[in-house]
Amino acid sequence: MKNRLKVLRAERNWNQQDLADALGVSRQSVNAIETGKYDPSLPLAFRIADLFALSIEAIFLRN
Amino acid sequence: MRLGSKLPPYIRRYTIRIIIFMSAYVLILIGGLTFAHGGVEHAQATLIGLSIISALPIIGVFWAVFRLLVEVDDEYQRLLFAKQTLLATGITLTIVTIWQFLNVYDVVTTGPQWMGVIWLATLGVAAPIVRWKA
Repeated sequence: MKNRLKVLRAERNWNQQDLADALGVSRQSVNAIETGKYDPSLPLAFRIADLFALSIEAIFLRN
Repeated sequence: MRLGSKLPPYIRRYTIRIIIFMSAYVLILIGGLTFAHGGVEHAQATLIGLSIISALPIIGVFWAVFRLLVEVDDEYQRLLFAKQTLLATGITLTIVTIWQFLNVYDVVTTGPQWMGVIWLATLGVAAPIVRWKA
């Protein structure tokens, strides 16, 4: 699944570790989600959406 | 320096458990072999008890690995650990199955042994394979 995580992170000048720390996951996990290797669970998707104050659909895009 | 102060708590707990069980394994194995082969005839029940005691640290390692899968609070890391465990199990079953038939067809004189140790070794082999490009 495609997502806008990398763009949203860059807009806030966060590196992957910053985002990982904010979400309570590993940097490797953030990288896997950003590159589309891993689709997060619904609870983690909601945590990401809450962090960016956006809806899930505004971050994760339908293929 | 504290043990892995930057490591996630679940990895710290796992590492401590593995160190404890592997240390116990080495000590019990050395003690057990010294006791069993000390030139004294032991009762069957004693040797059965010794066998179970020797197996306990390896069983403890199994518990530690599966406990890690429960305790890891990072879902992607849990996926990687689950893949690693399944790959190690698959490799071990493959080795043991081939070994078994080598024994059936009298190529080797003994059937599969040390399966727990093989699984632990393949768990180590599986880690970089699963995490390569992960």
